[in-house]
Amino acid sequence: MKLMVCLKQVPHQDARLDVRSDGTWIQEDNIKFEINSYDTFALEEALRVKDANGGSPEVVVVSIGPERVTQALRTALGMGADRAVHVKDADADGVDALGAAKILAAVAKAESPDVVFMGLMSDDGNFAAVGPMLAELLGVPHATSVVKVSMDAAITVERELEAGALEVVELSKPALLAVQTGLNQVRYASLKGIMAAKKKPIETKSLADLGLAGQVGAASRRVKIEKVYPPPKGTGAELLKGSTDEVVGKVLGKIKELGLL
Amino acid sequence: MGTILVIGEIQNGKLREATFELVAFARQVAPGLGAEVKSLVIGHGAQALADDLAKKGGGEVLLADHELLANYGVDAYNRAVRAAVEKTKPDVVLFSNTPSGWDLAPRVAAALDAGFVSDAFKIEAEGGKPVFTRRVFNGKLDARLSVSALPVVATVQPGATSPHAGSEPGSVTRLDVAISTGDLKAKFVKIQTAEAKGVDLTKADIIVSGGRSLGGTEKFMEIIKPLADALGGAMGASRPVVDSGWLPHEYQVGSSGQTVTPKLYVAVGISGAIQHLVGMKNSNYIVAINKDPDAPIFEVANLGVVGDLFEIAPALTKAVKDAKGL
Repeated sequence: MKLMVCLKQVPHQDARLDVRSDGTWIQEDNIKFEINSYDTFALEEALRVKDANGGSPEVVVVSIGPERVTQALRTALGMGADRAVHVKDADADGVDALGAAKILAAVAKAESPDVVFMGLMSDDGNFAAVGPMLAELLGVPHATSVVKVSMDAAITVERELEAGALEVVELSKPALLAVQTGLNQVRYASLKGIMAAKKKPIETKSLADLGLAGQVGAASRRVKIEKVYPPPKGTGAELLKGSTDEVVGKVLGKIKELGLL
Repeated sequence: MGTILVIGEIQNGKLREATFELVAFARQVAPGLGAEVKSLVIGHGAQALADDLAKKGGGEVLLADHELLANYGVDAYNRAVRAAVEKTKPDVVLFSNTPSGWDLAPRVAAALDAGFVSDAFKIEAEGGKPVFTRRVFNGKLDARLSVSALPVVATVQPGATSPHAGSEPGSVTRLDVAISTGDLKAKFVKIQTAEAKGVDLTKADIIVSGGRSLGGTEKFMEIIKPLADALGGAMGASRPVVDSGWLPHEYQVGSSGQTVTPKLYVAVGISGAIQHLVGMKNSNYIVAINKDPDAPIFEVANLGVVGDLFEIAPALTKAVKDAKGL
């Protein structure tokens, strides 16, 4: 059995989000990056399937991005993935969701995994699009918002709906699972794992290697980000200023005014 | 003339309000796009619902009615939407950003090699093309997106506009969709509704909720619980708190947890991801304590305190206790 996990490296959740000079995205120089939170749960779930099957399934992690992405892949290898594929190509940096799905589809066709795991969405773009798009391009079934996975001959998953309801779906293999946060407790890479990861292979591929030269990239984006900006300040909150005693006094006054004390 | 195709959604035997919100958006931008509004209803025994949508602004309504379409399933619904797209050749396809909408819409976009936008809360027509506005970075920034080529597939945030109210002449045409059980690689098994929760936040007058900044269960019990107790209220949490296992799911406020409307909601160390905001923004009065003055929570709050929650929340707890003579 082979499991493929798609990882995206995104700006750290606590990173400063300054809009860059052309206004179309944030300034990404000199900020910290991390593995997209949703994807860490996807990786953990794949590693659990590996552990539950005596370690025999191979877990391959795939990421698209510049040199810095190597760090995310090393972390994944340290957690227990067996090998990594890094799609590194200047033209791959500006892809939209469909472009990313086309790249991952080319990798998946070469790898033929039984199951592809990935996060429901990324913490930066929040599009939640690449998973279902990749499944469509591969012609395999998928489920999004997955909160529980049981793997047998078929795959049974629970998907999160609204207001606490769950949907149970059965998928034939091969399949793609786009997972929700919280479906497991994500492990940390152990020291032994980190040492072992240094010997694990990271294969670098260009778009030409994948037969996609000139077919994906910023130029073939279907959707263009015109600008990003802080949400307009609407009525917003009255922001209190002053010492702790002063602001606490004002909040207390308001609670009294509401008749709740 | 082009077409905007609205994908209707049935829930509990009724068309969702979100479907009529899509109709409202579609009718708003249709003149600017030089397009007419058409709709698709997918289900089983759904003739009356299709008739209803046709009368209420759905325009020419296509009805894909089949026993294998009774419940949402990605393969069968994909076929129904693709058949409707084949027939209407739309410039814009609109889904609601619901669990079935976000599951299916990107697949349709990939199949059409089309642009895709998710969770838009605003759609405008500019130069004959749609422009979408949506949140990115979990609500910390907004993004405006244009489309370089049509068609485009989009999902729209439920509640982003009022449902279309007027009545318009329309029609219903049945759409043949060939599906057999053998075609289904993803099979619907069942839906489990939320069992009775041990914690019912929906009835609380006062809720004090904590977020990721608390850092763990211990701090939660040390900071949030005493404030909730002092106020005589209930304790709640944001999604990261539950995901990290600090508190069980029944404490979660938000789109995948409980939707609450207390008289007073105190958000402590919660930045205000969209999925949390939709669950509490209709509270009567909202106080937010957060170290980041740009946190989205301050947009929905009435009163904001920018500062260190570990200092302010305990001081507030003490002040409340003193005021009550506890």
